[in-house]
Amino acid sequence: MIRAPLSVTSVLDEAADVVSITTPWAAVLILTSLPYRFLQAVFLDQLMEAGGTAYRYGNLLGGTANLIVLSILLALWGRAVYARACRLALGRGSTPGRETWRVPLVAFVSYVLTASVAIFAGYLALFTFIGFIVAVMFAGIAIGTMELNESTGLLSPFRVMGRYARRIGIPLALVFVFFCATFVALVNLAAAFSLGRWLVTAIGGFDAPHWELLFSGGNRRFWLMLFAGAILIVEPFWVAAHVVYVRKAGAVESGDDLKAWFADLRRTS
Amino acid sequence: MSCTKMLCQQCATQWDGIWHCAACLATKRGARAGRSGVFSWIAVVLVSLFILYCGARVMVWTGALLAGMF
Repeated sequence: MIRAPLSVTSVLDEAADVVSITTPWAAVLILTSLPYRFLQAVFLDQLMEAGGTAYRYGNLLGGTANLIVLSILLALWGRAVYARACRLALGRGSTPGRETWRVPLVAFVSYVLTASVAIFAGYLALFTFIGFIVAVMFAGIAIGTMELNESTGLLSPFRVMGRYARRIGIPLALVFVFFCATFVALVNLAAAFSLGRWLVTAIGGFDAPHWELLFSGGNRRFWLMLFAGAILIVEPFWVAAHVVYVRKAGAVESGDDLKAWFADLRRTS
Repeated sequence: MSCTKMLCQQCATQWDGIWHCAACLATKRGARAGRSGVFSWIAVVLVSLFILYCGARVMVWTGALLAGMF
């Protein structure tokens, strides 16, 4: 049910509720995104290792990039399943069941098209920063509108997205909120690892001398994995927020939120 | 809903922020499904795979260029 007028805070509030209802499905999202994020971290590690001579390792980097593309398809399917879980949870107010697996093929194919365009644009515009932000915003609207695609076509998914991109302020604000949230998650994850390492080394008769080296700030791979982990933690909230945003924006367009508010007023009076 | 019949909230389903009855939803679904041809399916799948392939190439190109800058 639409509970509050469309705003950034109401979208985030309702998204947090939806994530708490759909926790089992968030696990599906995280599991399907793990290979993608892990390979991205490996790719960045290879780039940092090669440094200025990276252009000489085209085959190695290209091989990892191809694996990333394959893992993207699995990650996109996981996102599609989770977006459906969020949509069903919003309608019912309870954890959705097995019907969540039945993502309409039209919706998924349309989502692969819009998401691949967003990924392509994101890498192409990485230098410009603003372009990268627009690509992330575009990717968010793509997952939010996924289930609204009822027919296949090269342009129809973009037309659906265009309807929800008119109020540019809220999707843009969501990009900045989740950018900050990723760093908050990173700090928390790093603190949790430090605490875990400290607790394990405190166990009598158990010595882990290498752990200090492996799980410390000096290890580049540790930081890359932490960053990948932070994105995985934030991702269910990001998907849920965009599904909630699209539903609320649709309700505003149809006047449904006004009807719900008026019905509430009549009930209380 | 498009048929403008009166229904209780339990019998209506919300889609894209609009309440529909079962008959209207079935009509809507049938009308939309009929428009998707085989060629549009093939085109969407091929274009998606091509863009993903190009994405992998651009990823390597951008990564190598950025790594060279630092």
